Amino acid sequence: MIEVGDKVIGYSTDPGVRNKGASGGLVTAILAAALEKGLVEEVVVLKHINEYEAIPIITSDVEDVLASAGSMHTVPVNLAKYAVGKNVAMPGKPCDIRGVIEQAKRNEVNIDNTYLIGLNCGGTMYPVQTQEMLINMYDIDPEDVKGENIEKGNLIFRTKSGEEKGISIDELEEAGYGRRVSCRYCDVKIPVNADLACGNWGVIGELSGNATFCEVMNEKGVRLLENAIDAGYIEIEPASEKAIAIREKVNNVMLSMGEKWSEKIFTEIPDGERTQYYMEQFADCINCGACKEVCPVCTCGEDSKCTMYHNLEDNYRMSMFHMVRLMHLSDSCIGCGQCTDVCPVDIPLTTIFRRFADKSQKKYNYKAGMTLERPPFLEVMPR
Amino acid sequence: MKETIYQTICPGCGIGCGLYIRKNADGKLSIDHMKSSPVNLGKLCRFGMKLPHYYAKENNAVNLVNGSSAVAETAIKAAVEILKEADSSSIALLSVGNTTNEEQMAFTKLAATLETIVQTGVSSECLNVPMASLVEIENAKRIVLFIDPYVQYPLIVRRLLAAKKNGASIVAVGTQPLNLADETLDLKPENHDELKLDSESLIIADIHPNSDIMLAKSLLALAQKTYAKIQFMRPFMNSFGTGLSGDQESKKVGLAELLEDIELGNIRTLVVLDSDPIELMPDNEAAVESLKKLNNLIVISSRSSPITEFANVVIASEPVYSKAGTFLNTEGKLLENSGAGKAGVDALSLLNAGIGGKAFTYDEMNYLVLKAIEAQKEKRSVVTECSVSVDGVSSPEIPEGMYELKYLYNPFMWFDQQDDNDFVLLNRNTVRKLGLKKGGCVNLKSNRGELKMRFRVEALPNGLVLTAKKLPVARGTSTIVSMEGC
Repeated sequence: MIEVGDKVIGYSTDPGVRNKGASGGLVTAILAAALEKGLVEEVVVLKHINEYEAIPIITSDVEDVLASAGSMHTVPVNLAKYAVGKNVAMPGKPCDIRGVIEQAKRNEVNIDNTYLIGLNCGGTMYPVQTQEMLINMYDIDPEDVKGENIEKGNLIFRTKSGEEKGISIDELEEAGYGRRVSCRYCDVKIPVNADLACGNWGVIGELSGNATFCEVMNEKGVRLLENAIDAGYIEIEPASEKAIAIREKVNNVMLSMGEKWSEKIFTEIPDGERTQYYMEQFADCINCGACKEVCPVCTCGEDSKCTMYHNLEDNYRMSMFHMVRLMHLSDSCIGCGQCTDVCPVDIPLTTIFRRFADKSQKKYNYKAGMTLERPPFLEVMPR
Repeated sequence: MKETIYQTICPGCGIGCGLYIRKNADGKLSIDHMKSSPVNLGKLCRFGMKLPHYYAKENNAVNLVNGSSAVAETAIKAAVEILKEADSSSIALLSVGNTTNEEQMAFTKLAATLETIVQTGVSSECLNVPMASLVEIENAKRIVLFIDPYVQYPLIVRRLLAAKKNGASIVAVGTQPLNLADETLDLKPENHDELKLDSESLIIADIHPNSDIMLAKSLLALAQKTYAKIQFMRPFMNSFGTGLSGDQESKKVGLAELLEDIELGNIRTLVVLDSDPIELMPDNEAAVESLKKLNNLIVISSRSSPITEFANVVIASEPVYSKAGTFLNTEGKLLENSGAGKAGVDALSLLNAGIGGKAFTYDEMNYLVLKAIEAQKEKRSVVTECSVSVDGVSSPEIPEGMYELKYLYNPFMWFDQQDDNDFVLLNRNTVRKLGLKKGGCVNLKSNRGELKMRFRVEALPNGLVLTAKKLPVARGTSTIVSMEGC
């Protein structure tokens, strides 16, 4: 009998999935069971392109689910749009889950039909930069990499020959490598906004590396877990007090790293210089619209306030497109980093949006994407 | 049916941005960002973001014989008959580089059987130059731009900004101030010495069918004289792949000259591969009139465009994203599609066999492409000698009270897509002089008629009007116009 609030440690009963999965294949097995036993019609998983890139696919084929097993810190992708209008289950980082929840507030996603398995996340990395880092910092041929993991503040790469090499994340980031900037100051590391919050933090002793710590966050989480147990896909046991304490400790260390980065990045802009700051930041924009396109919070479509008040013909010295988006996202930005990732002229959009949004969200004690609570002052109109 | 995901490159220009085209079970297309692409890290410009529209089903070419639908076999047979009966001395083949290396190579085989060469729309005079990698842009100490990267090649903007962070000074040579440039100099070619170039400098210019070839040659000479590196950007997705075929040494003529030859009756049969002179020439109507002089027009294309409307035969191939094949980008990087479509190569093989040449396979063409790339690598260190004076580069004389309407060549052929560049750029003096009001329009008049356009104010030199799109009042890239408020 599973209950909301339970904290368990589990793994797949299938030896193949257990070996291939990053932490005993628990998440893969839960997804496969949800699909096979009809809890959902489809599952969103990451299809591996190579060790450094995966792209999300939506599938009803359990083989695709099993093939997706494995951890990948190198793949920042936007999963929210795959939940739109579907009865699906999906694994996701805390920011992915926040995106889905924001879609649900805008009536794009039926949250009752959407099962969210959250994965602890200490941060993700860019594929090309990661390969450069392997050559320059690790002296490892990117082709030789078999897997990677973040443990005790170190980023560890495992080669095909079984060797492991770890370097402290601080050192990597000082050298300009490591996690995406938005991940560095992210303040949600354990996905408590999902139905199940899963990860390897707190898995100790014999099970270390071969099982997943899982916290049941709500009734949907109960259904997911019970469905997988009933199907015989997973085995679980209660997490020990020690395991729970260690998970919490790792989380606190990661959050404290995030706070330091936040202080470093969000230095105060003096009064009277803010307008100039925003004008300079957006001055190289080429109007591709990619930032809006990938934003998991934006559901307006092509005709929206930000595009209506923006025209290349205009002579405004500041982009009205970005100004409207700054206002629009001030209570809704989840800081996922997708806009920065796709910006063709490398404008640090997420940092700019977060700088703007942090103040309003803090003032109203509101954190976007964590619950179904509506944004505080820019009320969302149902479509 | 499951969703199909194609790994491909953007057809917008020669940079070769990697991306995924996703086709769902209903045939609906969407793009996904290919973040592992070293060329663009998954980033795309405005054109790349609109590719689902560009590749929409209604834009795909269909097989046609004399305007009527046909199956591929019939269209190929009809083309064979035309080529067999045509006078071989008056046949021309054109491919600007909008398709794979393998189709390009197959087209070269067809040209050889017809005892001619493949024209690329760009004169081959003195332009066999080594390419700089995009990373070299970031490491240059002084960069001189003869292009507007924001409009023409947006994906190099981030490279230029990185160079600036690394301490580079950036000079824009031209008429429009660029945010990323430290200074803008409106220099005539005879004053290019003022640019103070040396071996740590990089010149970025571009070559396209409407380029001033004398200017391109003068820039090449400038680079050779100062030991500066030079990067010629190209507008088509596989512009550089057109140089892989065996006929590089042959003389190639510019697109305007090719159309002139058609006009003069020297060319009676034209075969084009994914290339449309009507879209490419600044004066659409003049291009149409020239093409009407042809006896035969055969179009092999993946995309429907103005030229497919009055071709004698259209042989359709699959959309570029779904083709099997490789591309060579602006820095000489070999990029590959994940698609399996070989209809274009197969059609060219049947055409070649039909007129007495050998049939060939996609794999044979791919082998030849890879061999040609190896051979090209060995040759790359050889800098083409190019002695040229700048005497041939001239600027038009603008009569008193008139303006020069300049077409800022944009490699992105917006085709039938909604284009928000629907305005001209004027400077503040012009706006005042003409008494124009914000939100109003300006009436442009040339000997080709008149046109009302909206306008935007920019810090341009007096007497200049800039347009990022082809306008019907323009004759070419530079047109003398008069203007008044409206």
